[in-house]
Amino acid sequence: MRLRSPRWLNNTIGVLILITVAELIGRTGIAGRSWPPLTDVVGYLAEPVAQATVLRALTATAASAGWGLVLGIVFAAIAALLANFIPVLRPGLDRLASVLNAVPLIALAPLLITTVGRESTPAVVAALGVGFVMFVAFTAGLAGASATHQDVFSVFGSARSTTLLRLQIPVSLPTVFDGLALAAPTAILGATIGEWFGAPRGLGVLIVSAMQNYQVLLLWAAALTAALLSLAAYLIAVRLQSGAVRRFT
Amino acid sequence: MTESATDTIQSGGSAATAAGSTAAVRPAPAEAIALRNVTMSFDLGRSKRMTALEDFNLSVAEGEFVALLGPSGCGKSTVLRLVTGLEQATSGEVLVEDKAPADLAKSHRLGVAFQEHALLPWSSVRENIALPFRLARRAVDWQRVDELIRLVGLVGFEKARPRQLSGGMKQRVAIARALVLSPDVLLLDEPFGALDAVTRRRMNGELARIWEEQHITTLLVTHDVEEAVLLADRVVVLTGRPGRVRHVQTVDMPRPRHADITRSAEFRAVVDHLTDLLDVDRKAE
Ligand SMILES: Nc1ncnc2c1ncn2[C@@H]1O[C@H](COP(=O)(O)OP(=O)(O)O)[C@@H](O)[C@H]1O
Ligand SMILES: [Mg+2]
Repeated sequence: MRLRSPRWLNNTIGVLILITVAELIGRTGIAGRSWPPLTDVVGYLAEPVAQATVLRALTATAASAGWGLVLGIVFAAIAALLANFIPVLRPGLDRLASVLNAVPLIALAPLLITTVGRESTPAVVAALGVGFVMFVAFTAGLAGASATHQDVFSVFGSARSTTLLRLQIPVSLPTVFDGLALAAPTAILGATIGEWFGAPRGLGVLIVSAMQNYQVLLLWAAALTAALLSLAAYLIAVRLQSGAVRRFT
Repeated sequence: MTESATDTIQSGGSAATAAGSTAAVRPAPAEAIALRNVTMSFDLGRSKRMTALEDFNLSVAEGEFVALLGPSGCGKSTVLRLVTGLEQATSGEVLVEDKAPADLAKSHRLGVAFQEHALLPWSSVRENIALPFRLARRAVDWQRVDELIRLVGLVGFEKARPRQLSGGMKQRVAIARALVLSPDVLLLDEPFGALDAVTRRRMNGELARIWEEQHITTLLVTHDVEEAVLLADRVVVLTGRPGRVRHVQTVDMPRPRHADITRSAEFRAVVDHLTDLLDVDRKAE
């Protein structure tokens, strides 16, 4: 029997290599002054003032991303249910979703600022990204029951709402949580980008102002925090997904 | 080989006459299932069509057990699907209790076990068998569910999930699920296909016992000639594709038919005769 290194060990080794390389690039300065050693960034984050600034921004971004996630999921679920019960709506909804997804956020953001305002733009941008991913996940998931399972429900005289509840929703859950693993980082990315267009606070605001004022450490601290938040959201969704697979397949 | 008195061979396509033959003695039993001049062809795209059934006639009386026997791909499952209303005939008429087939399903009086067992992977054995109650939006009669679990020999597996069961056990769950609402019409598509010979005969015995208690109108699709003769009042042999009725065999050996009947000369003669009829196709292929 061959010994295999466990997956967590491989992952840890990968992350350590990445951190070491980033640190070395910073130490040697081969990428210029805008790439600081990671230890400096961490050291900067240990300062109470910087910590408070980043934390305030993090809270704002997480809140926008959270709202965006909820809004996106709710609208995607409503659209997917409409498509499920009124099949003639399906092609139209599919097209609408792809069009919304194809419009560049950069083009949409000024429009959003004038309509929903600077405060809400980050959440709405996040919701747009999440909405598309989740609409695709919901529609694919609800249509995922095997033909024989659908036949079983028909021959036992199941009403459409009962089939939705007892077959389509359970079948869809692994796919939906798969979608969530994509949607959660999308929400954080969307919120951060949404903050670039004049939001009062947030990691996106911090990134833009740090860039303009050449505060390299603050820029890295904000970017790193956004990346870690995104990673955390992804890992939680993946955990939920594997739970769903275990329970529903 | 055909010296047996019960071997009442009829010409193909005259399925209705057997049901009518008892009319002189008793009032004619109501016709539970009727397929009249049914043709079923599937659109294969690029203007190609495949005819699965052609000019197919079958009549099943109320309380009758009919077995469908035929080479694989001859349209046996298609007949069953037409009776469930899942499939619409290209031409001809399909009636169940004198109404459109889908009516029976809608009123939760149809029991079906498909060739693929199609259990819900997230539900336990007990929940899978209780499913028809839930789909009919009725309170689950757990006593009935547990009685069926005993009947199909799955005591101790109530909480198991389908993936923990063997193929044969899954099929038994599917049969229990088909029976749980005491349906008017029972459709079984090769329900014992995944079972070993011993369990298969045991399940045949159980099915016969259930049937003798309730006389549910039953249409059974099978590959197994002995199984067909053991269980059915009539065995309908289909031709190769497109499926038509080649032969209808009335089996009027007395019930209950115990396993030892399979060794009787009468039984063997019927089985041999039907096996020969099936072989005609195999030789032609
Ligand atoms: N939905 C379908 N579309 C196209 N062809 C089909 C469809 N269902 C069945 N068939 C074809 O009809 C024929 C009869 O199928 P089936 O009734 O399943 O046969 P059996 O159950 O006797 O093995 C087969 O050749 C099969 O490929
Ligand atoms: Mg078949």
